[in-house]
Amino acid sequence: MGHRLIDRPSPEYPVGLGDLEDPPSIFVDGEFREIPGVAVVGTRRCTRYGIDLAEAFGAAIARSGWTTVSGLARGIDAAAHRGCLRDGGHAVAVLGSGIDVCYPKENQSIFDGIVSGGGAVVSEYPPGTPPDRWRFPARNRIIAAMSSAVVVVEAARTGGALITARLAAEIGRPVFVVPGDVDRPASEGCNLLIRDGAYPVLGAADLIEELSLILGPPERDVAEEKEASMPTGGISLDDLPEFWSVTMTEALVRVGKLQVEGKVRREGEMIFPV
Amino acid sequence: MYAATTSVALVGGDVRPVEVQVHVGRQQDTFKLSGLPDTAVREAKDRVRAAVASSGMRFPNRTVTVNLAPADLPKGGTDYDLAIALGVLAASGEIPNPNGAVVVGELALDGTVRSGSATLGAGVLSARTKRPCLVANDSAADTAAVPGSTVYGVGSLAEAVEVLRLGLGQRDAVSPRPTPRPGNGPDLSDIKGQALARRAIEIAAAGGHHLLLHGPPGGGKTMLARRLPGILPRLTDHEAVEVALIYAAAGLRRGLDFSRPFRSPHHTASRAALVGGGSGVAVPGEASLAHRGVLFLDELAEFPRGNLDTLRQPLEDGFVTVARRGSTARFPSSFHLVGASNPCPCGFYGDRRKPCECRPAVLARYRQRVSGPLLDRIDLVVKVGRVEASEVAGPSGESSRVIRQRVEHAAEFRRDRPSETEPRARQMVLDALDSAVVTARGADRVTSVARTIADLALETRVEEDHMAEAMALRGEW
Repeated sequence: MGHRLIDRPSPEYPVGLGDLEDPPSIFVDGEFREIPGVAVVGTRRCTRYGIDLAEAFGAAIARSGWTTVSGLARGIDAAAHRGCLRDGGHAVAVLGSGIDVCYPKENQSIFDGIVSGGGAVVSEYPPGTPPDRWRFPARNRIIAAMSSAVVVVEAARTGGALITARLAAEIGRPVFVVPGDVDRPASEGCNLLIRDGAYPVLGAADLIEELSLILGPPERDVAEEKEASMPTGGISLDDLPEFWSVTMTEALVRVGKLQVEGKVRREGEMIFPV
Repeated sequence: MYAATTSVALVGGDVRPVEVQVHVGRQQDTFKLSGLPDTAVREAKDRVRAAVASSGMRFPNRTVTVNLAPADLPKGGTDYDLAIALGVLAASGEIPNPNGAVVVGELALDGTVRSGSATLGAGVLSARTKRPCLVANDSAADTAAVPGSTVYGVGSLAEAVEVLRLGLGQRDAVSPRPTPRPGNGPDLSDIKGQALARRAIEIAAAGGHHLLLHGPPGGGKTMLARRLPGILPRLTDHEAVEVALIYAAAGLRRGLDFSRPFRSPHHTASRAALVGGGSGVAVPGEASLAHRGVLFLDELAEFPRGNLDTLRQPLEDGFVTVARRGSTARFPSSFHLVGASNPCPCGFYGDRRKPCECRPAVLARYRQRVSGPLLDRIDLVVKVGRVEASEVAGPSGESSRVIRQRVEHAAEFRRDRPSETEPRARQMVLDALDSAVVTARGADRVTSVARTIADLALETRVEEDHMAEAMALRGEW
């Protein structure tokens, strides 16, 4: 389809953007689909735990048949896109630069994957626009408006993720937030949002369940896929026997089989359900 | 006038006979030494002269020429003193030619005989050539422990002379020192919990697999690694000699010990320290000192990559070739590699209590510090987690003795069992390859670990469950 500019009268124009005070014209590469979008956002200075969770959320949203929207930033954003792409989902990235400028460079493969995977890259800035810092908060309002709900995985006391959540709340989008340790900087913003009335998310399955109340039933029932029976945030191999109440050898045998069947994924010592 | 005695040189992990040829000519008082001696050997001239005088004998006032044959083999150390002294005395007609015995020992200026590093080599040569050997008293019992050797101990040059005058048959050979029982190292029953690591270490012991332990600081990685030698089968006579000779070549005394070596070089160790070096004469490194035992590399990610890569030759071939100016030697170097590492710079990745605070990029960089080719050769990668308070209070785990018995049974079982693989197990490997869960080399390693797991269960057939467990134990890190 190539690069194109979409104005408000166009039938392709995302309906949600109409909720903004100043609905912008947008440049698009790739394609939109007529399916609800869920924004997964968070800080760039995230923890490994946040990354794992964002990936799990992106994947769960993809499997449910919804679009994952994020900002292609380092950290949580990238992880959400990655999770979505891994499960063949429809991904939309809203950039603070022109749609032909990948920033940060390290996310080039995600950038390419989104377009080639049938997703879309969006920006209100003309192609060639460099990634200036001041443009990023503005693009957050597009992320919020294009989504039917916003999930904040990790957010500091200040920063883009918090701005996105507040903008989303202003235009009536439900905000879901992952609670965190009270003294961890990467969770401070999240906990503040919860105090202000955001929904705490208790895991990928819980998220999908809550979202289905808003978006309608998912394409596939995620709850049924819990065959692997493992915490979404992953579990370390040596904790599995206790989790499953089996011996170490039995647990190892089960993990080995699940690995080969592609139902779990290893990352270092951690095992994640796929 | 000419005489020759036999001594011994340590070459690589083996011994070579050295003929100490002595000629006493008619000219003026000179003492020449040839046969590529190093400084220590060259100084033998002074020690021998003094020791002979102190023992109340006459050092010939003539041209004394000593050649250590083969003359192109570099010689080092002080072990040739006694052989040279006896050769000189025989060549000048003071004593009968002792050409029957293998003679090794360092001389003090007062004539006392001491043992040098090659003493054990004399025992090995004695056993191999069925000749008696004459060594210092202080290490005679150790040397006699070499199976098949005949050892005579002497305390001084004068005593050695007397023994030779009377003939060796007039004396009783030294009886071997009772060998220490193996397994007196730390015991696995000291370690509570850690079911995963215990399982992995048992499989590693039974199949000779390399192992990587990772986990938060203070979890007990080092404790576990130190207990691996204790669950390995005891060394055979042949192996114990082999190991002792390597130690001797490094100038270390180990005697004939049937327990497995445990070496744990620090991450600042140089390449030469790891795989061998030495100036002139080649000296074995940690990789060879760990032969038949355990080479433990703590803080694996802190070792410079290049240094770790030097371990690839021993891991692949079971020996190290050390080329030095003076000689090239090949040392056996077949060991269990056990690596330990924090999972990430902060140490808490995968911890059930404390979240890891490392940024993903930092984490990725940390992991890349260990070279891929080395990791490829490590079959078992497991976590050693923090032990919970409830586990500390819990019952002790199995003792090393019990586990060693299972390991020995598995080894015995393997010796003459046919090996089959259940079709479903084979299919599982193919599926894993298809879905890129393992690489081709990984599939090889997994299959080999599965075979070991089956051996521990005394099963000739490798079943699907064995394969699955092997798959799970090959975590990446």
